[in-house]
Order: sequence, then C-alpha cells, then structure tokens
Amino acid sequence: MSALLDHLPEFWQGLIVTLQLTAASFAGAAVMGLVIAAMRVSPVPVLRGIGTAYVETLQNLPLLVLLVLAVFGLPEIGLQAGLQVTATVVIALYEGAYIAEALRSGVNAVSSGQGEAARALGLNFTQSLRHVVLPQALRTVIQPIGNIFIALTMNTSLAAAVGVVELTAAANRVNLLEAQPIPIFVGAGVAYAVIAACAGFVTGRLERRLAVVR
Amino acid sequence: MVSIRRVAAVAAVSMVGLSAACSGTDSTSSAVPGQPKDNSVIAQAPVAAAADILPGSTMEKIKQRGELIVGGSLDAPLLSQQNPTTGEIEGFDADMGKALAKYIIGQPKVKIVNAASETREALLSNGTVDVVFQTYTITPERAEQVAFAGPYYSSGLTIAVKKGTTGIAKPEDLNGKTVIAGANTPAIPAIKQLAPQATIVTFGSDPECVQALKQDRGVAYVQDETLLVADAQKDPSIQVVGSPFTTDPYGIGLKHGDDQFKKFVNDWLTKIQGQGVWQQIWKGSLGTVVQGEAPTPPQIGSVPGS
Repeated sequence: MSALLDHLPEFWQGLIVTLQLTAASFAGAAVMGLVIAAMRVSPVPVLRGIGTAYVETLQNLPLLVLLVLAVFGLPEIGLQAGLQVTATVVIALYEGAYIAEALRSGVNAVSSGQGEAARALGLNFTQSLRHVVLPQALRTVIQPIGNIFIALTMNTSLAAAVGVVELTAAANRVNLLEAQPIPIFVGAGVAYAVIAACAGFVTGRLERRLAVVR
Repeated sequence: MVSIRRVAAVAAVSMVGLSAACSGTDSTSSAVPGQPKDNSVIAQAPVAAAADILPGSTMEKIKQRGELIVGGSLDAPLLSQQNPTTGEIEGFDADMGKALAKYIIGQPKVKIVNAASETREALLSNGTVDVVFQTYTITPERAEQVAFAGPYYSSGLTIAVKKGTTGIAKPEDLNGKTVIAGANTPAIPAIKQLAPQATIVTFGSDPECVQALKQDRGVAYVQDETLLVADAQKDPSIQVVGSPFTTDPYGIGLKHGDDQFKKFVNDWLTKIQGQGVWQQIWKGSLGTVVQGEAPTPPQIGSVPGS
C-alpha cells in the first residue's frame, strides 16, 4: 500500500495527463464523428464514399498501430508534432469513426417521415439535419456515445506505448522502483474505474433528462 | 495486464513492419546483431550429476517436465532476441537459459515465456516460469518478492546522442533537457537521481528509442552500454558518449524462498564460470560488439539482495 501512497504526486500527474488526453480527444472525436456521420447520410455519393472509407479504414486498424505509425512514421515525411499532441489527434480520429457510426444509427432510428416533413416545409439538407433529424438522433444515442467515451478513456492508456506519461506509464514507472505490481496497478485501475463510473453516471442522467417522449 | 501484453505484442509486430519499411538502406547488416553461431558452446556446457538433482526439488520437477520455462524477452538485441529467419532465440541471456536447461535436463530445452518488467515477480511467484533471465537488476526491493541467484553479469548505463551533438558528456549535463529511455528500464530512476531537471520520454523497445533519438524527440538516449554500442555500430548517425555511470548487477530471478534451487543455480554459475563456458557465451553474444576479452564475472552473492 505504501508503494501507492509514497508516489501519489506521480500518479496525480499521470491522471492529469490521462484526463487531458481524454477530454481533448473526445472533443475532437465528437466533431469528427458529426462531420463523418453527416457525410454518410448525405445525398451526395462522393461524400458518402469518403465517409464510408474513413470509417472502414479507422475501425479496421488497431489504435496502437495508428499511434506507432503517426509517432514514428509521420516525422519521416516531415510531419512532426509533440507526443501528446500526436496521440490526442490520433485517438480523436480513431474514436471519431466509432462516434460517426453511433450517430448514423441514431439518424437511421429517426423515422423517414420526419425527414420528408422537413423537406416539405422547405428546409434544405443541412437545415433538416440540424433542426429536425440530429436533435432526435443525438438523444437516442446518448448511451452508446457514453460507452464510446469510456472506451476512449481506456484507450488513452495506449499512449503510454508512444512515450506519453499518462496514468498507465506513471504506474509502470512507480512499479519499476517499488516492484509491487498488484497494489500499483490496482490503484491505477481504480482511477480508471472512477472516470468510467462518472461517465456512466452523467450519461444516465442525460439520457433520462433528454429522452424523447414518443 | 492482458492488455499490456497485447500492447507489447502489437507494438513488436508493428515495429517489425516499420523497421522493415525504414531500413531499406542498410540491407547488408542482418536483422540480429552478432554473428550466426553454432551451438558448440552449449554442447560443451556441463550437466549436473544425478546426485545434485535432489528428490522433490524444483530441479527434479524441471527434469521430469523435460523443459525449462524461462521468463525472458524476444526483442533485446545481443541478450535475448528472436532471429526472424531461424526462429531461434539468440543472445547472452538466451544462451545462459539454454546452458542452465542443459545442466538440469541434459538437453538445452527451453521454453521462453515473454515476460515484462511488471509481470516478472508475479510469473515467478505463481510458478508460470522457473527462472527469469531478462537483464533483471538485483535490488533489495525486488529481493523481498523474488530470490536472486548470481549476479551473473554486471553492466552499466551510458548515454548516446545524435552525431554532432555537443555539450553532453556526463549524466549531469542532461538537466533541463529531454532524455529518451526504454520504458521499464533502470535508466528512468538513474536519470531522475543524477539529472532531476531532465524530462524523460519512454518508448517500449530499443529500436523505437533509437528512432525517437534520430527524430529529435529527445537530445540523448540513456540505455545499457552493450545495447547502445550495438546500436551505434548498426547506425552511424548516433554515437555513444562517456563511459558507464552506473553499475547494474543482473540476477537470475527465482521463486522467493526456494533456497535449495538458489544454491543449485549459484553452484551451476560457479561451475560454468570456472570452466570458461560463461566466457564463451559472452564472446558469442555481447563480445561480438564489445572489444577485448570477456570481463571477469561478478562475485556471486556480492550484491545486496542476492
């Protein structure tokens, strides 16, 4: 237990980096997901094609491979950013594909009569998506997006493999000194569990508050 | 834990792909440093007398199983690295494991379980592996959870920089700079102690660290001297500065409290060092990049924790 308590500053620093990675990449993923979902339901075949290609490419590659390629491969063609920035962007792009799919399932859940009614009122594609379809779609996918948020939190631990000292890397470093893997990794696990539990609580509240009464 | 191992496996696979893509220029050098060698060293290694394999002991269990289960690495050049063409695991630690297997069983039959710094203690205490040969530095903290035979080798950390870098000659020069180190290596606490103002960035494997140094992710790379010498030899754009600034005694990890097996392994070490087998194993692995004769092996039991 002292292995954990003696190193609280290191754990705290790691936790902060984990939260930064989570918050920034989730924000990026939400924007990316919205854009890609809009492309996938749009009436323009080219945009639909791009959206599909994006989702298929990013969902079918392991996140770690993407991280390693971005951190070590991109500098070879002259694109180099800081490690944490690179990790944040890669996680955002990767999780964006999942959010896009969740949003698309929400859009498909909105009955087609809604879209037809919007067009009948004279709204164009963007307007009907923004004012009619998306507000209803978003409400039905709060829970799946909450799950993606939790998965994203856990996935930030992969940034440890490319040199970002987040919670998992911090735990590894403490373990190197103390050789007490069980309390140290259980401690780190509890911190992840607390983040996930908070996310679960918030999505539960949001879902009840925003539920569409049909 | 599972995810960490999966991470390591995926990282290894992806690095293989990456290094294959990037190493188009040095097609002459083989993927594994060190000359291809015959197994004559292991053939000369001694076999324990039947009387030494005490009934009911760990040694007897291993002998009956017909295979020594070693916790080790598959990606440590010169120490324990899988040769991609033959599938054989080669290097100093790997050969030591084979020699110990031969001593117990009569044949160098070894199964390597890919261990990681964070799983070694658990693998030993729950009996998944019999021994750990993995640049396992003996420390008093670790000795509370595992038993150490040896030390069987002593190494030290040193600094590598990109060629042409000035102003870095000793560990204190790293203060205020970004330093690359292998994740889970003793380099991290050593840098923290000698250069507290340094920022440490870590990567999982040695090739990743070298790549990061070349891409200016840090100004220096701190790692075991033998590894760095091998890296600098393969890659002319990096150079080793200064001499080692730490002494890391490597021990053979055993289950905590198994004094019988510890004495048996220590006796084996004394025997192979006396017969020159240890020195030949060194020459066939680390000796291929370090100049001169094999060093004097460290005194067994000379380190706190061993």
